[in-house]
Amino acid sequence: MRRIDTDLLVVGGGPAGLEAARAAAEAGIAVDLVDAGFRPGGQYWMQDPTGAPPLSAQGSKGAAAIAKAQATGVAFHSGAEVFAAFPDRRVLANAADGPIEFTPRAIIVATGAHDRAMPFPGWTLPGVMTPGAGQRLAKLGGTSAGERVVLAGSGPFLMAVAETLVKLGKPPVALIEARPTDSAIIAHLARHPGRWREAARLLAGARAIPERRSGWIVTEAIGSERVTAVRIAPVDRSGRIDRARSETIGGIDALLVGWGFRPMIELTALLRCRHEHDPALGGWHCVTDRASGRTSVEGVYAAGEVTGIAGAVPARLSGRLAGLSAAADLGADTAGDEGERASLAEQLARARAFSDGLGRLYAPPADLVTLARDDTVVCRCEEITRADIAAAFADGTDAVAGAKIWTRAGMGRCQGRICGAAVAAIAAAETGITPREAGFNPPRIPLRPVPLSVVLETTRDGQE
Amino acid sequence: MKPGAGMKADAVVVGAGVVGAAVARALAVSGRRVVIVEQGVPGGAVSGASLACIGTHMMDEDELPLLKWCCDEWAAFASVAPDFEYSRCGQLRFLKQESERRSADEWIGIETAAGLSPTLLDPDAVRRIEPELTGPIHAATWSPNSAVVNPFLAVRRLLEAAQAAGATLVSRRPVTALRLAGGRIAGVETAEGPIEAGIVVLAGGPWTAKLAATAGVDLPIVPRKAQCLATVSVPPSIRTVVGACKAEGGVDAGYTQIQQAMSGQILFNTVLEGGVTAAGSPDDIPEVDRAFIRDSVATLLFLFPAFVQIDLLRSWVRYEAVTPDDRFLTGPAGPDGLFIAAGDGGTGFVRSLGMARIIADFVGGRESPFRRDLYDPARFDMKAAA
Repeated sequence: MRRIDTDLLVVGGGPAGLEAARAAAEAGIAVDLVDAGFRPGGQYWMQDPTGAPPLSAQGSKGAAAIAKAQATGVAFHSGAEVFAAFPDRRVLANAADGPIEFTPRAIIVATGAHDRAMPFPGWTLPGVMTPGAGQRLAKLGGTSAGERVVLAGSGPFLMAVAETLVKLGKPPVALIEARPTDSAIIAHLARHPGRWREAARLLAGARAIPERRSGWIVTEAIGSERVTAVRIAPVDRSGRIDRARSETIGGIDALLVGWGFRPMIELTALLRCRHEHDPALGGWHCVTDRASGRTSVEGVYAAGEVTGIAGAVPARLSGRLAGLSAAADLGADTAGDEGERASLAEQLARARAFSDGLGRLYAPPADLVTLARDDTVVCRCEEITRADIAAAFADGTDAVAGAKIWTRAGMGRCQGRICGAAVAAIAAAETGITPREAGFNPPRIPLRPVPLSVVLETTRDGQE
Repeated sequence: MKPGAGMKADAVVVGAGVVGAAVARALAVSGRRVVIVEQGVPGGAVSGASLACIGTHMMDEDELPLLKWCCDEWAAFASVAPDFEYSRCGQLRFLKQESERRSADEWIGIETAAGLSPTLLDPDAVRRIEPELTGPIHAATWSPNSAVVNPFLAVRRLLEAAQAAGATLVSRRPVTALRLAGGRIAGVETAEGPIEAGIVVLAGGPWTAKLAATAGVDLPIVPRKAQCLATVSVPPSIRTVVGACKAEGGVDAGYTQIQQAMSGQILFNTVLEGGVTAAGSPDDIPEVDRAFIRDSVATLLFLFPAFVQIDLLRSWVRYEAVTPDDRFLTGPAGPDGLFIAAGDGGTGFVRSLGMARIIADFVGGRESPFRRDLYDPARFDMKAAA
């Protein structure tokens, strides 16, 4: 096992992690960056695993950010999954060439986000996936999820996926956005002129899609071997679905459906940082002091989506702020940085005002939880249906924790990463508690399944 | 169901772990109106983190009559309740070296005298029962009557049986204090109002002492950290419950338990003497510590070397309730109407049905078939006074 003593360990190599690592390294701090991907960049700045040059302006920006971080001396550890962290801040990661133990003086968690999937009839059919998964297929393999794709759900990320598919020459046959377009969205955009160009670009890309609807929701995926059709129905601004006016879109071979993102809080939760729940920020997120990235745990900082879903611009700003403040806390000479930090904090507040507003505008509709029927599988690892979960609640338990132990929902290989938010929503709907009261599956060591041989190697000689 | 304040009952059972669930069932079946109040989710604390072995092997000589009765009761409950993965799979306790023989023989003698049928097996005989156990053990004891249950479902079934007999279950409602009136118990206080009852049974595991103190009752229960690991689901590979021989110096005087759940996950833990040091409490549960992970994985792979490439999936920590002599505190304590059933010492599952029987007999004014003195909550006071 490799042992690495370092000043600062950055976990996650997306926009937030790269900016954090570079800022701290520039301040003279020894920085190691550990990332699960083949190459750094994360989901947003995803790089080709073979090292081929980026195809998009976004990918090129990422390549430049990686090069800059490398030039400042950040030590990269790609393809390494963090699976344990201990109260003394030791972090264990498993890489293709063996495990690594990091002993950092401080940690910046920039682990990013998961797709927020919600179960509905047919969601386990082949050909149905999240927009994020479709985007990865397109970015990594240059392939579309299908020849005739329906893109659905809610939020601006759908437009980004549409743009990628249009560039691939495979524009979706339909874009089904649940949020009805109205003056509130236009008014919000009007308040943030800095984002007009991006919005115009995304809207222009969407024009290649023959059928565009807003205020409609996919209620069912239909098919036997694979998805071949979707049922859609109108959904109003209060989130109510009008099934009487349902329609069917047939002749499709893929459905990308998702409801934005959820912060990837496994590591910050394992480190016992304080978390809060806010639907506009993707649900449970790590609470930080926005100006410094400090969490409630000394020596642990967080930046980017893990602190609340906001997108790449706030991620970069919060990453840089966390890197600078961690460097200062570690004793780097940061005199003269005050002006920059104040300016970054101001930019972050503005960028967050935009993204938080979008988060509220594109909140998943209230009736989303009604889509899953009794026989719809909610937990895919353990094949637990909504009826199984409802029966447990009827027997007197509640919350995510209660559903888990009485039904095994969230007890399988993914440990509730996929179904956790859905189980919380079902708990809230069935027992009248809030999603916040429903809680989340507390992550435990190991954060990802890891072979016993590796576990033994990483604990055998370690200090206890 | 979320019953409001102002509830009334004959008896309130505080804690919906396996002990509280069993007590609630026993009281409800005997015709009492019972409310079970749980601060978290039912079976979600100590019970849910248990490996839930139902057996008599290497437990406690004085408790053997009760343990035998409990094993039969669990089998009887399994035959009438919906499935809770009850499996009479037997239990092996391995010996690493010759020096552990004396203790193994002693336990076999005690249990045989009590009418049980444990035996000592050589490694070849062990492998006929547990083929994947190919590690270099010296021998193992074999107790064929041991069983395991799914701890979550077992608690659920007991609560279902209690509710079927008229009990009401209230989840996520912490009891904040005991209510007294005229020197006797009058119910409990909760954050959402009082629940009135002339009988209160505290089955709150490591939280019991704090609640009893609100009625001026001092209980010698302390929390002890217990940890466990689980692998991902794998095809059936372990048939029995595998433990370490209880002996001075056996597995370095700690304990081991290894079994495969019906889900396919292998559940295992090994604690060596002095192996557990990390701080924490039932209200602030820490992660497993590194030494525990190392000792548990090393022991698993010592016994089952073929498992080396199986993925570890999860770990968990619980705080079990421990008494000075490792026996439950079960029976009346302090003001009239107050009863205690707590002090699992890490083996609460098997004994829960017996503890419920003792409580139900006290409440019903019946003689108990068991030695109540073993569990008298005041037994340490008497010793101190003597």
